[in-house]
Amino acid sequence: MAAPAWFAFGFGGFEPVWKRQNPEALRPRPLDLGGKEASRRCVCKLRPSWSYTAALTGDGYLVLSGFVGGLPQQSVCFLHGGCRDLLTSEKYLLLLCKDHVECWDTGSLTSAGLHGEPLWKMELSGDKDGAFPLVSAGYVCPNPPFFKEFPHQLQVYKLALGGEHAVLLSTQQTVYAWGSGRHGQLGHGGVEYVPEPQTVEALQGVPMDDVAAGGWHSVSISEAGDTYVWGWNESGQLGLPCNKLAKVSERMGAGSKSVEISHGEEAEKGRENICEFISIQAFPALMDLPEGAAAHKASCGSRHTAVVTRCGSLYTWGWGNYGQLGHGDTASSDQPTRVKFFSQHQLDVQDVVCGVWSTFVLCHSKENEPRQFGL
Amino acid sequence: MNSLWCEVQEVLPRTREGMQFGFSETVNDSVIYLLQQARELLYEGSEDVCLAVSEMILDFSWERLNSDTWKNVAKEWRQVYSYGCLFKAVCLCRKEGALEEAMRTCDMGLLMGAAILDNVILRLGNILQNRLTCRKRIAEDGADGCSRKKTKHDPLPVPLLSSSESLIPHLHCPSLEHFKENYLIPQQPVVLSGITGHWPCMKKWSLAYIREVAGCRTVPVELGSRYTDDEWSQTLMTVNDFIDKYIEDQQSGVGYLAQHQLFDQIPELKQDICIPDYCCLGEGDEEDITINAWFGPAGTISPLHQDPQQNFLAQAVGRKYIRLYSPGEAENVYPHETHILHNTSQVDVENPNLEKFPKFAEATYKECILTPGQVLFIPVKYWHYVRALDISFSVSFWWS
Repeated sequence: MAAPAWFAFGFGGFEPVWKRQNPEALRPRPLDLGGKEASRRCVCKLRPSWSYTAALTGDGYLVLSGFVGGLPQQSVCFLHGGCRDLLTSEKYLLLLCKDHVECWDTGSLTSAGLHGEPLWKMELSGDKDGAFPLVSAGYVCPNPPFFKEFPHQLQVYKLALGGEHAVLLSTQQTVYAWGSGRHGQLGHGGVEYVPEPQTVEALQGVPMDDVAAGGWHSVSISEAGDTYVWGWNESGQLGLPCNKLAKVSERMGAGSKSVEISHGEEAEKGRENICEFISIQAFPALMDLPEGAAAHKASCGSRHTAVVTRCGSLYTWGWGNYGQLGHGDTASSDQPTRVKFFSQHQLDVQDVVCGVWSTFVLCHSKENEPRQFGL
Repeated sequence: MNSLWCEVQEVLPRTREGMQFGFSETVNDSVIYLLQQARELLYEGSEDVCLAVSEMILDFSWERLNSDTWKNVAKEWRQVYSYGCLFKAVCLCRKEGALEEAMRTCDMGLLMGAAILDNVILRLGNILQNRLTCRKRIAEDGADGCSRKKTKHDPLPVPLLSSSESLIPHLHCPSLEHFKENYLIPQQPVVLSGITGHWPCMKKWSLAYIREVAGCRTVPVELGSRYTDDEWSQTLMTVNDFIDKYIEDQQSGVGYLAQHQLFDQIPELKQDICIPDYCCLGEGDEEDITINAWFGPAGTISPLHQDPQQNFLAQAVGRKYIRLYSPGEAENVYPHETHILHNTSQVDVENPNLEKFPKFAEATYKECILTPGQVLFIPVKYWHYVRALDISFSVSFWWS
């Protein structure tokens, strides 16, 4: 049986071989975390930050690759006391261990691993709900104060941390959102800051299976396989008509004072009518994947979106300037497009994890299907 | 080309050691590393790689600039953005045919960044502006362009100013003391005349002149008749494009170069205006005065709103109809309830919906048509509505 394999595409400015000018670097490439030791191990958790990628291997090793200890093109692989999951930001590395969470300053990392005492540590009580970064009646985040308690009882299942906001899926399959709403990323219909988890009313009654959060946008996948998007469409990351992309070749940053808001529950779909550009989508909009493909899982980069379908295909859209869409170029797109590389290579996509400007994909080889079924 | 490079080198530190970043912990080590890389590449003359690294710096800092409200973004991230613009613009200066892109890059640095290396981007921008062909137009255009080319639609006629008691009083060149006692302290609006006679802009400014001095510069433009409309948005374009598309031809709708600190971006234009002497009656320093440009076609509208500072609105080109409501009328002008628009009235002043906003009929107001050379004193928090009657260029001075 072929082991599942990770592929990577997009920004790798701190990796040894990455050159944006080289078209090969824009296509999906087998994940290479560098270092002989690291390459032999099977990665079970992948948590990319912008300048480095952290991974946890099946046998409990922690691998850090990229900008580590003040230098680019590094690869560090070490065992760290029963680490089970992790969370990364440019400044901090949070590790979930057996009975506690600890936080390290990424600047304190050396080629030999982590030394001394962590910057911050929190003991965990016995009862655990939901997946990391959810921990004992709250969640950890890779910025001070590192732990936030939920103000009221929530039956938590999954938490997605965006740039300045958070999206939560409850065990009742309800979506909550809070934090900065300046670009409509909370889906409550406004652009106000919301301090505490608040139900996304517009999605009430639609059981959800997955949530994801990007820099300024959010995605949820329903039990029926529908994709809902909301927030900022600055680079087409919502898969809705984007004004900037219509003006080909113009690469101007959108003004930070923009307050253009679409109040429709569902965005106008007519692409023929080019006036219907969406800048900010403050309520969730139902978005169709091509050929009615049913969505399974989603992940968001700062300004791009990736969705795995039930049939094992990968669709991407949004900002593509570093090749993070996987189509072999640096174009951005406001139209969900299947990443052909995987079907061309008989690869069945299982999971996707977006970095800030990059994408990581876990695949199985389709050729081995009969044998897999036999086992 | 070579002489341009000499000029560019003049504004840069002579050696890489002269370019020290000195950022605090706010800026990540990984970003500092990229800045150092870009600096090395710049000084060793590897423009192509330097350009790629500067794009990374720009993309990363752009995301930081958009991660919070403008006033909460750390100044250091705006400086990182400026360094990205500097590296990119300098590399572009060495490429054939990339001067306009270099100019636009400098302007992005001036619009969104913060000053670095003794305002190097401002200085580089001046060099590029002088190089660019924006001066060519004046020869082609010839005549002064501010009063011609009828626009397609005149949305509203020139208002008839109703009664004498609603007129804002006019005053010719009052003494500082008189202005202070009778207008500033009691917070009464007044139209001042005779105080701008020596401002060069009153004679010099025309479309041709603005194209000449600022044509190639990138500026923010508001699209849509008023910022409260759903379709309202902001975009960036060169002054030449703005004049072509939104002033000489209005097919593309209403565009307004509004509330932009153009005089900080283009120091040459600042020499054409003066800060009114009356500003010295305030408590702030002269550097604290915010000077904004308001340049657009006939028909631009600033919905009824209030600002947190005293304002002198100087009219340089064209006429503007202005209506004022005192701060005490707040209840009658129905401010928006959302936080973002709480300083703006919901009422369409010249076409009010009195069924929805009945108390607006009771609100007393003052009005005027501001003509070139006049300066309107708008006291702090005074509600004001402004509509341009002609192609108009105004300069506002916010002071405290």
